[in-house]
Amino acid sequence: MDFAYTPEQQTLREEVRQFIAEYVTPEILAEVEESGVRSRGPKTREMYQKVADRGWIGISWPKEYGGQGGSRIDQYIVEEEFGRVGVEVGGAGSGAPAILAAGTEEQKKYFLPGLIRGEISFALGFTEPQAGADLAGLQCRAVRDGDEFVINGQKMYTTRAHSGSHIYLMARTDPEAPRHKGISIFLVPMETPGITVRPLWTIQNDPPAPRRTTYGDRRTNEVFFEDVHIPASCMLGEENTGWYVGALGLNLDRVGASRYLLSVQRDEDIINWVKENDMGGYGPSQDPAVRDRLAELWIEAQVCRLMTMRSMSLVERGGTFTYEGSAEKVWAPEHGVKTTETIAQILGAYGQLLSSSEDNIEGGVFAHNLMGAFQSGINHGSAQVMRDQVARRGLGMPRG
Amino acid sequence: MDVLPSEEEQMVKNLAREFLEAESPPRLARDMEKDDQGYPPELWNKMAQLGWFGMSIPEAYDGQGLPLTYLALILEEVGRSIAPVPFHSTVVPALTIASDGTEEQRQEVLPRVSQGSLIMTWAFQEQDPRLLPEAVQAQAVADGDHYVITGTKMFVDNFNVAEKCLVACRTAPASADNQGISMFLVNTNTPGISHTPLVTLAKDKQSKVEFNQVRVPKANLVGELNQGWTVAQAMLDRATVLLCAQMVGAARKDIEMAIEYAKNRVAFGRPIGAFQSVQHMCADMTIWVDGAQLLTYEALWKMDEGLPASIEVSQAKAFCNDKCQAAVRSSQVLHGGMGFMMEFDLHLWYRRVTAWTMRLGTSFEHRARISKALIDQPGKVWLGMDQIPVA
Ligand SMILES: Cc1cc2nc3c(=O)[nH]c(=O)nc-3n(C[C@H](O)[C@H](O)[C@H](O)COP(=O)(O)OP(=O)(O)OC[C@H]3O[C@@H](n4cnc5c(N)ncnc54)[C@H](O)[C@@H]3O)c2cc1C
Repeated sequence: MDFAYTPEQQTLREEVRQFIAEYVTPEILAEVEESGVRSRGPKTREMYQKVADRGWIGISWPKEYGGQGGSRIDQYIVEEEFGRVGVEVGGAGSGAPAILAAGTEEQKKYFLPGLIRGEISFALGFTEPQAGADLAGLQCRAVRDGDEFVINGQKMYTTRAHSGSHIYLMARTDPEAPRHKGISIFLVPMETPGITVRPLWTIQNDPPAPRRTTYGDRRTNEVFFEDVHIPASCMLGEENTGWYVGALGLNLDRVGASRYLLSVQRDEDIINWVKENDMGGYGPSQDPAVRDRLAELWIEAQVCRLMTMRSMSLVERGGTFTYEGSAEKVWAPEHGVKTTETIAQILGAYGQLLSSSEDNIEGGVFAHNLMGAFQSGINHGSAQVMRDQVARRGLGMPRG
Repeated sequence: MDVLPSEEEQMVKNLAREFLEAESPPRLARDMEKDDQGYPPELWNKMAQLGWFGMSIPEAYDGQGLPLTYLALILEEVGRSIAPVPFHSTVVPALTIASDGTEEQRQEVLPRVSQGSLIMTWAFQEQDPRLLPEAVQAQAVADGDHYVITGTKMFVDNFNVAEKCLVACRTAPASADNQGISMFLVNTNTPGISHTPLVTLAKDKQSKVEFNQVRVPKANLVGELNQGWTVAQAMLDRATVLLCAQMVGAARKDIEMAIEYAKNRVAFGRPIGAFQSVQHMCADMTIWVDGAQLLTYEALWKMDEGLPASIEVSQAKAFCNDKCQAAVRSSQVLHGGMGFMMEFDLHLWYRRVTAWTMRLGTSFEHRARISKALIDQPGKVWLGMDQIPVA
């Protein structure tokens, strides 16, 4: 067992922090706040280029595809530090892990350098109106037509469809096969004719959730496919193996820094807030009940961290997940909700003030979190479904 | 960073499990609950031959000189098999002698512990059971070449079979310099000592120990006079993290039994383990024990690295208290009426894990230590920071 970052990794963290202090300016942060609604702004793109120049995007990806061939933990450190200020860089939800695992040589050569340069980004096209937690029920069809596929159907809650260059699409290629065995994945350029994007506004849009809010997404989308013709070379992995390719992507996405931070950032925030606001020795920091709860939350947050580290260790060892990713996906989001709701009771009436209120606390992030935190237990595998997986895959319990 | 056990660590654990599965069936734990001594000397001797008691004792004193983590992995397995042996109570004071004792004390104690010929215990708690310096009221008064100890110690583990006991005493009022506590290594057969067995939830062997004018040679002072709180704190932290390891092992075995039971017990025409509500309980139980284990391992690792670890120890114990308890209670629930029956073994684990939640610090005590570090020290905190500032 070894719970330490290496000295090099500690230096890397310091360098990233210095970079952030220097280059992640208020203008960029303001742009980032807007980017949930529009695409990435010019200053952000400039900054992102600097990050890429330092070799900090796709650190763990192979060199031949523009990565650094480095460790997953280095990459995690970079993502964690940027994540703390609410700026997402590279890696996590990019689809890259699945492309690396299942893509063709051409796909790797095309997508990975593009992802690193920030020219390519994916919207995740999994959910449909009638297929959410029960994703294998999806109906969006892709029908082979010579060297092409023709896509018809609808996707739902496709968060980056308005800003991403591509959609990472799960579609049914064999309606006769058992549910999980007739699905394929396609990497489809968003500008392909026949794709329409319609915004879905969330409860975080007005007033806008501050950056760093857990599920502060202001906008997501519906995406409609009408006779969308794409070359067969857009397919990722073998035809009809999409369920497994997709699951691989999800499992790897669950273990990154951004998922972890979603669940624990408010722990750090509230502790630092009560420290700085002790009201002359009369604040919540002196209330024994509050102190006990904060310590409890802190311990649980440490468990989130350690579960993330366990997943990273497994990946670094080249091992496979049986239930660890799912366990983390139950524990961390539910912890995040507990923290969020505890904070409401610590702050009292101030806890309800949203971002546009002058008197809000910390930009209203705690109030907006009350609208978003529970979403983290639904997305990317709901807590219920994740518990099923821990029980069935991890513990070998029988299907109902 | 690799938080999973290394190959060697895993091997030590596997070997311990194999041995204990063969040598320490639940029957033994059950029998020892009714036994006057409370442990089987044959099993004790076999463990000694395996070198377990000297695992983390320096090689110069016949030990193996391995990091505490190795000892903890063995104790995790001891917890798993609920082996009824005075293992924890012996190694804890022995390790304190190793770190804080004089050369003579080490010579006298450590080789015998390594060989398994010396059973030990320690005495800290009193009428006020909290692990605070203020709670130590037993007096030790200098008299010539001796200290004379008078007072009552509570919850002294395995005192009935221990030959030596490390006792925390008050030798001065607390002052700006120190807490006025000193630690003494006391032979349990010294005149003036009497003890009464306590009847406990775990049906283990704990005693109320009365010291009435007990004369202890000055050479038996462990650490500096009046500076014993530092020694005691280190001892309690070590004891706590080792107990956490034991709890994790016991809780893990306990929930495995429940999961197995759920796969086989049929109700409403199917195994209860096929019901989603039951599956979700089992998932949570697993997650809780995993969390307890990770926190425990991190605390051990910090200690082995020589880093301050008191916050990590408290994190582990507070979490173990709450979550191992919840896990073994859920196991009881999944067993329906059967878990409540004396003839069925599950309660052997349940009663121990539950009792251990009340030993070596309650959740409130440990969380108070954590909040003090988190809140009362200047500077921002963040998860994963090297060192949480300690009060
Ligand atoms: C802000 C936001 C962004 C999103 N971004 C994306 C995206 O980019 N791409 C994408 O593909 N999707 C995205 N989603 C969709 C998200 O993944 C789905 O909402 C999620 O999968 C749940 O599906 P659903 O909403 O249809 O709920 P349902 O599937 O209808 O679930 C409703 C409830 O039933 C429970 N439930 C379902 N099945 C079971 C079961 N077997 N046992 C017990 N309980 C069960 C669920 O846990 C949940 O609590 C996003 C959602 C939101 C809100």
